Amino acid sequence: MRRGVRGVLMLAAAIGGAVGAGPLHAQDNRVGGTWTVAIGEEPDTLDPQKTGAAVAAQIFTLVGEPLLAKDFQSGIVPGLAESWAVSGDGQQWTFKLRAGAAFHDGTPVTAAAVRASIVRALAPETKSPVAKAQLGPVVGVDALDDRTLRITLKEPFAPFMANLTDSRLSPISVKAAETAGADFGRAPSSDGPYTVKEWVSGHHITLARNPAFAWGPPYMHRGPAYLEQVTFRIIPDSATQVAAFESGEVSQLGIPPHDVTRLVDSKKYQIFHFLRKGVGLFLEFNTAREPFNDLKVRRAMNYAIDKDVLVKVALEGQGEPAYGPLPPSIWGYWPGIVDYAPHYDPGKAKQLFAEAGYTMGPDGLLQKVGRPLSFTVFIAPIDTWTRSAQLLQAGLRAFGVKMDIQTYEFGTLLDLLKRGQHPAELMGYTYNEPDILFVWFDSANIGVGLNFSHYADPTLDGKIEAARRTMDTGKRAALYADLQRYVVDKALWVPLWTNFNYIALQPSIKEAKIHPDGYVFLGDAYLVKP
Amino acid sequence: MVGYTLRRAGMTLLVLLAVSVLVFLMSHLTPGDPATIMLGENASTADVLRLRHELGLDRPLPAQYGRYLINALRGDLGRSIRSGRPVAGEIWERFPPTLQLTLAATALAIAAGVLLGALAATSRNRMVEALLMSASLVGISMPSFWLGLLLILLFGLALRWLPIAGGSGWQALVLPALTLAAQAAAVLARLTRASLLEVLPSDYVRTARAKGVGSRRVLFHHALRNALIPVVTVIGLQFGGLLGGAVIVESVFARSGLGRLAVGAIQARDFPLIQGIVVFAAAVYALVNLSVDVLYLALDPRISYD
Repeated sequence: MRRGVRGVLMLAAAIGGAVGAGPLHAQDNRVGGTWTVAIGEEPDTLDPQKTGAAVAAQIFTLVGEPLLAKDFQSGIVPGLAESWAVSGDGQQWTFKLRAGAAFHDGTPVTAAAVRASIVRALAPETKSPVAKAQLGPVVGVDALDDRTLRITLKEPFAPFMANLTDSRLSPISVKAAETAGADFGRAPSSDGPYTVKEWVSGHHITLARNPAFAWGPPYMHRGPAYLEQVTFRIIPDSATQVAAFESGEVSQLGIPPHDVTRLVDSKKYQIFHFLRKGVGLFLEFNTAREPFNDLKVRRAMNYAIDKDVLVKVALEGQGEPAYGPLPPSIWGYWPGIVDYAPHYDPGKAKQLFAEAGYTMGPDGLLQKVGRPLSFTVFIAPIDTWTRSAQLLQAGLRAFGVKMDIQTYEFGTLLDLLKRGQHPAELMGYTYNEPDILFVWFDSANIGVGLNFSHYADPTLDGKIEAARRTMDTGKRAALYADLQRYVVDKALWVPLWTNFNYIALQPSIKEAKIHPDGYVFLGDAYLVKP
Repeated sequence: MVGYTLRRAGMTLLVLLAVSVLVFLMSHLTPGDPATIMLGENASTADVLRLRHELGLDRPLPAQYGRYLINALRGDLGRSIRSGRPVAGEIWERFPPTLQLTLAATALAIAAGVLLGALAATSRNRMVEALLMSASLVGISMPSFWLGLLLILLFGLALRWLPIAGGSGWQALVLPALTLAAQAAAVLARLTRASLLEVLPSDYVRTARAKGVGSRRVLFHHALRNALIPVVTVIGLQFGGLLGGAVIVESVFARSGLGRLAVGAIQARDFPLIQGIVVFAAAVYALVNLSVDVLYLALDPRISYD
């Protein structure tokens, strides 16, 4: 499967300090202040290699500085590595580290130290849930000299560059980790603009400005961040979050759908809004069980559901209908999918149900050899999911399809889905890369990963593998377009909607920007008197 | 009295032992292997075996319980699966805020409950009584998350007198303690009123009045002292309820505490942590009720259990 060596060395732009003229220089009068971010749940650990929690990744965007960074146009730019090169076969990656970078414990960030960090992430005893997977087929890491690091892959891995920009792959000081033991996750030592100063369980996590920091990505000013402290306040109740934000106790808030219109219309705050990076809700069929082992029934379901109603009612208009497995917010999305995929069409749905052998019974339910078309959809207790499920229930009943709703706690739900005990379920995801299709659809993920459709298809696996191994961006995009069509053809899901995310900031902050990965970039941010 | 206290203490120990057996069996009674449940379905066999050994699950049940009990007595409740830190340490870190909240709420509930109950009993058949009793009904029926949000909106957002989820010191304690106390205060008010209504017509109260003792002194010095005896028992029981209610109040007000720790542990299926919290909460509850029973003797010399 390996592609031949093309002998072309792709050399990335080596952007040095010379670019940093004018506004990119640090301004002392901006230093100071505390910024308080409301978070709903507490991270499991802040050891970036051991966490599986999205909130830990969010906090670590301030604590760590990965080898590469993603700029505001989603281009890959230098991070801790000032330049990098990849061999023609896509398997050898060489990184040149910036001079002078240091971990929070003071030890220098050398190639050997970064190597030790990657080795730790890969080690089985670390039991890394995310970082290890992001490294993919890494088989070798070598420190060629103090500032040169070489990573060797077993095979080309297209998501690799983007993965290297994830905060969870920021290097950590392995020396500090060994000294701290289990407590490392409470006060990790990494290489980013903020250090973890205090973690009071169930209450808050406070980060303090790292005054030595001078190795940020090119889109950030040279030098340390401006905000003296960033506090993540753990507030589980969303109504309390909103009240605390409006009273000024909290500076940054992810707005719950119900409060969006009011807070946006008040015009008192800075608001960022963007389409969620991932399909917010889809109905997924277990293709290993009746009645959804029948492609005709799955396709009929795709014509029987009116997504516009769901967006209008369940999301209160704050989203858009979804048509394929990728949303427009993830690279690789094929815009043609909107016309290609089925739209609400009652005639077509009835026709397909009939072709699948179903006739209308006396009780108003479709039936086939005396058995009614009824199933239970498994869902998690999330407000917008519940509302969507109820709308689906009513809509499908009009076609003679009986749908029951069963709610499970999220962890339990995932377990049941893995074991394939569901006829169908509602699900959603957030991810930065089209490689998410591997997670949902590759047969390697049946029973162990997130392939909840339990659909094993060598053709589909082959298409996914090809897209993962193709380094050429244009070819890769074409492969993903084909993949999206294939998934829609097989009707494994009814994609339902993708919601908008709203983040509100107090007006006292300047230069806060929304990063394409969906977090607020505070590297250049500073406070002004309102 | 000493004998009684010792006997009650012995009973409390027995109760705690029974709780420890139940909690210990909890992980064995849930369907499936605890190690597999903790690690998830996709854990490797080697990991499951390692955890089974770490938890001592590969040994006979009585031996497992013995080890569990000895460790627990030494203050070793195992390690949290989620954080990898000692369970006892996690509980110890999260207990003070909960204790603070519960004590403040108890004090508020007693003060408000007894005073309002006495006021209601002495304003028989008047508007005040009807008002107080309907207010207490509202207090009993209103769920604490709802009351908490109302208090936040009024005192935190509209009037800005008190912090919502920020601040420290007593200001940060006021709204959560009020929320938590409301229900208990309502229960105590109704109980105090009923108990006083029984005591007020009795002979000694009439005698006191006949002697010309002032009505306030009759109420607080003579009547209330006797009327409060059943109230004290309920206070002990209410304390347990407040400890439980802290789960919701801590979530609404984003306070750190044992309740939030318990919810997190359950959501993460962190068995050692859940077990530790249950045993600890049971111990606190049993100790409070033991103290209440002993307090009884001090309050009412007529009571004798010998």
